[in-house]
Amino acid sequence: MTNAIEVDNLSKHFHTPKAKKLFLAKQKSFEQKATKRDVIRAVDNVSFHVVKGEIFGLLGPNGAGKTTTIRMLTGVLKPTAGKITILGRDFLKNRIVIQQIIGNVPEMANAYLDLSGFQNLELIGELYGVKKTERIKQAEYLLKKFGIFESRNLKAKKYSKGMRQRLLLCMALMSNPKVLFLDEPTSGLDVQSSIIIKNLIREYHKTGMTIVLTTHNMDVANELCDRIGIINKGKLVGLDTPENLLKLMQEYLALDVSFENNYINEKEMIILPYVKKISKIGKKYRIIVSSLNDGLCDIVEYAKSNNLKIDKINTYEPHLQDVFIQIINVGGV
Amino acid sequence: MQEFISDSPTSLITQLKRSFAIMKKDLRIYYNKGPVIIQGILFPVMLFFAFTIGRNIAPVYIISGLMAMVLFLTSTSIGPVVFPWETRQMTLERLITCPVSIKTILLGNLWSSLVFGCVFSTIPLILGMILFFEFQMNYFLIIMGIIIAALAFSSFSLILSVPPTDMPANTMILTILVKFPIIFISPLFMPVSFAPLAIVSPLTYFIDIINIGLGIESSFGYLGFFFDFIILMVFSLLSLFAAFFLHEKTITRRFS
Repeated sequence: MTNAIEVDNLSKHFHTPKAKKLFLAKQKSFEQKATKRDVIRAVDNVSFHVVKGEIFGLLGPNGAGKTTTIRMLTGVLKPTAGKITILGRDFLKNRIVIQQIIGNVPEMANAYLDLSGFQNLELIGELYGVKKTERIKQAEYLLKKFGIFESRNLKAKKYSKGMRQRLLLCMALMSNPKVLFLDEPTSGLDVQSSIIIKNLIREYHKTGMTIVLTTHNMDVANELCDRIGIINKGKLVGLDTPENLLKLMQEYLALDVSFENNYINEKEMIILPYVKKISKIGKKYRIIVSSLNDGLCDIVEYAKSNNLKIDKINTYEPHLQDVFIQIINVGGV
Repeated sequence: MQEFISDSPTSLITQLKRSFAIMKKDLRIYYNKGPVIIQGILFPVMLFFAFTIGRNIAPVYIISGLMAMVLFLTSTSIGPVVFPWETRQMTLERLITCPVSIKTILLGNLWSSLVFGCVFSTIPLILGMILFFEFQMNYFLIIMGIIIAALAFSSFSLILSVPPTDMPANTMILTILVKFPIIFISPLFMPVSFAPLAIVSPLTYFIDIINIGLGIESSFGYLGFFFDFIILMVFSLLSLFAAFFLHEKTITRRFS
């Protein structure tokens, strides 16, 4: 397996106004005078790689550094330090050559609202050097595929948010990119638009396209990504497949049980072989077990022998959200 | 991919072609934007009346002065608006991730300003031809003058959009602060010798070219038109390279 993207020790630091003043005034030593608080480490020493043909997700809370990372990977921002290699070439030294083979849907970007959908695609086609006949064919193909062909001559300002997002995706795909960057592709969209976009991402993934997406939506990450990097406060704090990340939370296999008389002797129950921890959440008990099947048997036996009637019992398996919260809270895997 | 994409992305010709795509986009989008209409159309009309009403001005100076003012104000009206407008509309980030250099984006802005200026400055020229048809005009010299001067003023306008703001109004204030003094020190609607500070204004050399084209002797001697062209070319190149340098410095600050 070859890597489509390699990111080594990537950092992006922004300076507060005070630090900028110090820097501009060429004080004796900027590094000495600027304190740690004057430097905002938006991305701090992040390293990862993306295998050719995979969907790689960058997951993190708002302000974690996902967008800054994508902006560096697409050439909007210059890194403070580190190296980016895309399809075997140093991105910082070959920005335009690499931008030719990547597509991008920035979170904060927009289509040209005063141009029609078709004119937006034509412009992007021209900027990527797509031949005129191919440009028209490709634009029509994408507009049809993304369900906005009927509105192709309407100005983009008349499009709904979902339509604009689809137009932005069309723009990103105009040049048949080998690597596609999507910054929060389903953020703020209605369910229908979100499903359409997720399906299209899957479809393009099947063609062998490498896709890097950022999201703070666990479901999107879980549904789409082959591997996930969890980023928090500018640092990469977790990186694995969704399945492996879930395995980290195996201790979070739990049974939510409510008893009819709403009382159990926790001290007795905790000594059961497969029960690890008991906590009361409202009227129910969350019983952490080492195995769902065996734990269930233990609890049913315990209830029988103590004449307790089980009112309701549910199994609780860890979600990516639990992994995410755990990693974010602990600060790393 | 090789057949799909026409050229090598970094070649000069490719980047030049792509700058024309940006020009088309700018012309489609910005010709009817408020700041462009105010600075490019309303200001020249208002200033024309302010300068000429109640004064006895020779027709030749009316034509050259009006052309100079229209060309200067129109060709400097789009450039300063594009960057803050696109930063605000969040389209600049999309543009910057395309395989084009900052220089290409600036060249695109330059071409659109140039076309805008050239088109609008022909209006007073045509009016002059109709009203004062007795002039023996040197059309070649006038057209060349318009193109070179539009290039100079458009390059200059790129510098005005350097501050990394997303408020077009901010750059409008800056442009007014810079453009008005240039207009006031220029020999508009009067002979060049009547304006003592005229030598520092690029408009002076365009006015001189138009005056020569309308049959008046150059204010800078026998080879005056040659001198005018050289000055405007040097001014264009200096402005353009200054704009390239300064925008490279400030572009990422628009996104941080």
